[in-house]
Amino acid sequence: MKEADKRNPFTVPENYFAQFNKEIMDRLPEKEYVPPQTVSLWDRVKPWVYMAAMFAGLYITINFLTKDTETPLSSSQDTFSAISEETPANNYWSTVHVTEEEFYRYLEEQLVDDGYYDYMYNQLYLN
Amino acid sequence: MEMINEEQLLEELRDPRTGRRSFEKLVAEYSERLYWQIRKMVLSHDDANDILQDTFVKAWMNIDNFRGESKLTTWLYRIAINESITFLNKKRNQNNISVDDEDSFLLNTLESDTYFDGDEAQKLLQKAILTLPDKQRLVFQMKYFEEMKYEEMSDILGTSVGALKASYHHATKKIEKFLSEPR
Repeated sequence: MKEADKRNPFTVPENYFAQFNKEIMDRLPEKEYVPPQTVSLWDRVKPWVYMAAMFAGLYITINFLTKDTETPLSSSQDTFSAISEETPANNYWSTVHVTEEEFYRYLEEQLVDDGYYDYMYNQLYLN
Repeated sequence: MEMINEEQLLEELRDPRTGRRSFEKLVAEYSERLYWQIRKMVLSHDDANDILQDTFVKAWMNIDNFRGESKLTTWLYRIAINESITFLNKKRNQNNISVDDEDSFLLNTLESDTYFDGDEAQKLLQKAILTLPDKQRLVFQMKYFEEMKYEEMSDILGTSVGALKASYHHATKKIEKFLSEPR
C-alpha cells in the first residue's frame, strides 16, 4: 500500500458543511424544558426519618417480646427458689420459730400419745 | 478552528437558555469529522448526509443523559458509528445479504458515486477495504486514513488496544492479498 493512497478520494458538494451546519439547526426538534425540581428539607430527610422510626419500632418490639418471655421465667424461678428455700427440711427452724424446749415437749407429747394408742390397740385387738 | 472546552460546552448544552446556541458550536466543531467517518462506512454522500443528520438529532435529544464519563467526541463518534452500522445492516436485510457476504450494494455505490474523484489505484483500494467485515473496516479506516491512536479507537469502539492492533494487522494482510491478486 502506497502513502499516496491515503488521500481522501471522496468529495462533497460545494459548501456542503456550511450548509449542513445551518440546516441541521432548523431540523432539531424543540426540547421540553423540565425545570429542576426543588427538593424540600423534609423530602430529603424523609427516608432517614422513616428508617429511624422503623428501627425504633423494631427495637421496642424486640424489647417488649424478650421482656415478656423473660419475666415469667424469672418469676417462676423466684417462686421456685422461694419455695425450695421455705421447705421445712431446709428452713424449718427459721420459719417455725419454736424453741428447743418447746420442740422436746412436743416430741414427748407425741410419744405419750403414741404409747396410749399402742396400749389401747393391744387391749382391744390383740387380747 | 479554536479547540473548544468540552466541559464548558457540556455545561452550556445542558442549560436550556444556552443549549441551542452551544449545540450550533458543537455541530460546527464536529460535523466534518463525523461526516467523513460515516462516509467511509456507507460510501454514498446522500446516505452519509442522512446518517449525519440522525446522529446530531440523537445527540441533541440525549445530551441531558450524557454523563460525561467519556469525551464528548468519543460519544458522538459512537452514535455516528452505531447509526452507520444500523444503516448497513438494514440495507443488507433489504438486499438479503448476509454479514459475511461481499457487500455488492456498496460496490455498486462506489462504482456509481459521483462524489468520488480517486484514480484507479484508489478505487481498487476502496474495493479491497469493502472485502473486510464492518468492524475490521472501521478499524482500518480509523487507523490508516485518520491516523487515530489505538487508545482513542479503544474508547470509541469499546475494544481493547491489543484486539484493535490484531484487527488492523489482519485487515492490512487481507488488503495486501487482495491488491496482489492478478486481475
